[in-house]
Amino acid sequence: MASAMETCNGGISNGDVLDISCKREKLIIDTDPGIVEFEFVPVEISLSNSIELRVLVISRICLSELIVCKGAAQVIQKESRFENLRNGYNIAVLLYVWLDDSMAIMMAFQTPKLDILGLTTVFGNVSTQDATRNALLLCEIAGFPDVPVAEGSSEPLKGGIPRVADFVHGKNGLGDVTVPLPSRKKCDKSAAEFLVEKVSEYPGEVTILALGPLTNLAIAIKRDSSFASKVKKIVVLGGAFFALGNVNPAAEANIYGDPEAADIVFTSGADITVVGINITTQLKLTDDDLLALRNCNGKHAKLLSDMCKFYRDWHVKSDGVYGVYLHDPVSFVAVVRPDLFTYKKGVVRVETQGICVGHTLMDQGLKRFCYINFVLHTNENHSLNLFKIFSKSAVFFLFLSDCSWNGSNPWVGYSPVSVAWTVDVDGVLEYIKGMLMKP
Amino acid sequence: MEERKKIIIDTDPGIDDAMAIFVALKSPEVDVIGLTTIYGNVYTTLATRNALHLLEVAGRTDIPVAEGTHKTILNGTKLRIADFVHGKDGLGNQNFPPPKGKPIEKSAPEFLVEQAKLYPGEITVVALGPLTNIALAVQLDPEFSRNVGQIVLLGGAFAVNGNVNPASEANIFGDPEAADIVFTCGADIIAVGINVTHQVIMTADDRDKLASSNGKLAQYLCKILGVYYSYHLDAYEIQGVYLHDPTTILAAFLPSLFTYTEGVVRVQTNGITRGLTLLYNNRKRFEEVTEWSDKPSVKVAVTVDAPAVLKLIMDRLMES
Repeated sequence: MASAMETCNGGISNGDVLDISCKREKLIIDTDPGIVEFEFVPVEISLSNSIELRVLVISRICLSELIVCKGAAQVIQKESRFENLRNGYNIAVLLYVWLDDSMAIMMAFQTPKLDILGLTTVFGNVSTQDATRNALLLCEIAGFPDVPVAEGSSEPLKGGIPRVADFVHGKNGLGDVTVPLPSRKKCDKSAAEFLVEKVSEYPGEVTILALGPLTNLAIAIKRDSSFASKVKKIVVLGGAFFALGNVNPAAEANIYGDPEAADIVFTSGADITVVGINITTQLKLTDDDLLALRNCNGKHAKLLSDMCKFYRDWHVKSDGVYGVYLHDPVSFVAVVRPDLFTYKKGVVRVETQGICVGHTLMDQGLKRFCYINFVLHTNENHSLNLFKIFSKSAVFFLFLSDCSWNGSNPWVGYSPVSVAWTVDVDGVLEYIKGMLMKP
Repeated sequence: MEERKKIIIDTDPGIDDAMAIFVALKSPEVDVIGLTTIYGNVYTTLATRNALHLLEVAGRTDIPVAEGTHKTILNGTKLRIADFVHGKDGLGNQNFPPPKGKPIEKSAPEFLVEQAKLYPGEITVVALGPLTNIALAVQLDPEFSRNVGQIVLLGGAFAVNGNVNPASEANIFGDPEAADIVFTCGADIIAVGINVTHQVIMTADDRDKLASSNGKLAQYLCKILGVYYSYHLDAYEIQGVYLHDPTTILAAFLPSLFTYTEGVVRVQTNGITRGLTLLYNNRKRFEEVTEWSDKPSVKVAVTVDAPAVLKLIMDRLMES
């Protein structure tokens, strides 16, 4: 008892509080960054932009900002057609069009209060192997070549070839343009090993932002039973809560990619915040925003907004939405500015069978389910304790099948997670635009 | 004067079923041409007995009762009976004497098929329980979905939690396979889910008003409502009861009390979300063919003028 008190006192000492407040937040991003479009855009090389060649990073959903870095110039110079860059030349600049994962990663790299421990990769937008290559490339371009990239599982838990979202592919007929190879290698460890190692190394300190299917996290949870309690927080981009999915009416793409894994993660007991497309689809850059971007003083703003038009047109066709969505950047904002959202707590389960496979269903707790009736009707002081003891055991469920309610249900006995419920749309947009228009 | 709308009520009485049947019998807009029975709140045998009893209470023994199936469409027998909501007898544990009348020879699906064929496009079927009888009618006669005028059903939880478990509403949970058959059969369908019926609450004060009226049926209902009120206090912590069935009855002949969205509804038939109703409102296009593609649309109630619905129900019961 005494030692517990001491630990407790130590935990709230001033020194510790100060120390924690000064530390940068440790973040690992589990991601499936894709490069899905290539375009050669004619640009007149002037002295200024030939010195610091910029790679335009735009997302499937939206443009990101211009990424200023020397890595970009190196990458481009690997292409023979850019060897003789001179002032005044008209050349075609290879434009990498990234999926929105990349945009969230770039934003993370540029946030000083974050310490990016590493990237782990997963299938989703592309295959896991391509995701690893793209993640390595992205670190170089962003000027963080030392950030480790650990390759994740190449297939969902139940096996089989993963569904890869290639719906934006090859629209310009340049599908077989070779992507430059990154100059360094992936880390020796698998994604799950890397996650387990880092979380054990810094218990209670590591936040994980999961932007793809949850396979790696599920493997980490299965591998190390203390993982869920040691991880500080998992922010998941995924699911559609009381809203339509985007793969089909029932399911959102990341959860659909590995429903078994998602169910393991949501029921693991870890501190989880989940940002579904019911939230992310509330945020888009409208045609007006794009116009404002076009007219702002940013050096490449006009080019950016022209590029965006492609995506805007694609969204008009697919969603009837005039503007571009910001799924991944929004979930990143949930990591650094959780105050811009409100949350509801509830147990979330994922359907793994049937026509609604991949459906995320949250118990909002509006109705008192079985165990309350059980407590009321047995009229014993011990019943609540019994509930606690048996809540996770089969015995409990057998017991309950006798009570006046119609038995237990698959949501009973798990820890609730925080489901993003509302979002301060203007606040999040301001935050993202602020990063977009940075000089 | 406009002709009265012919309705058949498929029902599992049930306290709020009783109220719904009485409201229909006292509504000048409709002519109740039959009751068909189904398991749900009670077993089918008891549903038939209660249906006959309620018609006797209302003095309408001219209306035929056709007994429905005792099993789900896949011959399931492990049925969920809600005696903890409605009492062991389904009518608030009042131990009413057995009815004198008997059900007709025809089964519920046969009766539904027959009447729809007899009055093509004119019959409104109001389904207040699991949808097994309706699905059997669809299977019995390929023309049924075209012959029936409209199916107004109480079922589903659209974009909200269910009431059996977080995924599923009780009527759909009772026979998900049958529900999926009905939702995709191509008939003109209005679905009224608990997302709507949970907005219509009869408070304890309203019940006192009913009790102090001279309405014979109102008096009867007040006797049986006690069990239903205590269940709602236990389960939802509210001093009132949800008027699921009476609200749905009104949608059959006063549809303007509601607003609707249109789309394809599919029902999950396995897994942990068995009984989930998932509406696709056609607003987003998907890259791939989905289980919702190329299926007929139905209307799903979205909002309800709850004060108007409650007032109508109260008025008609108090006049009775």
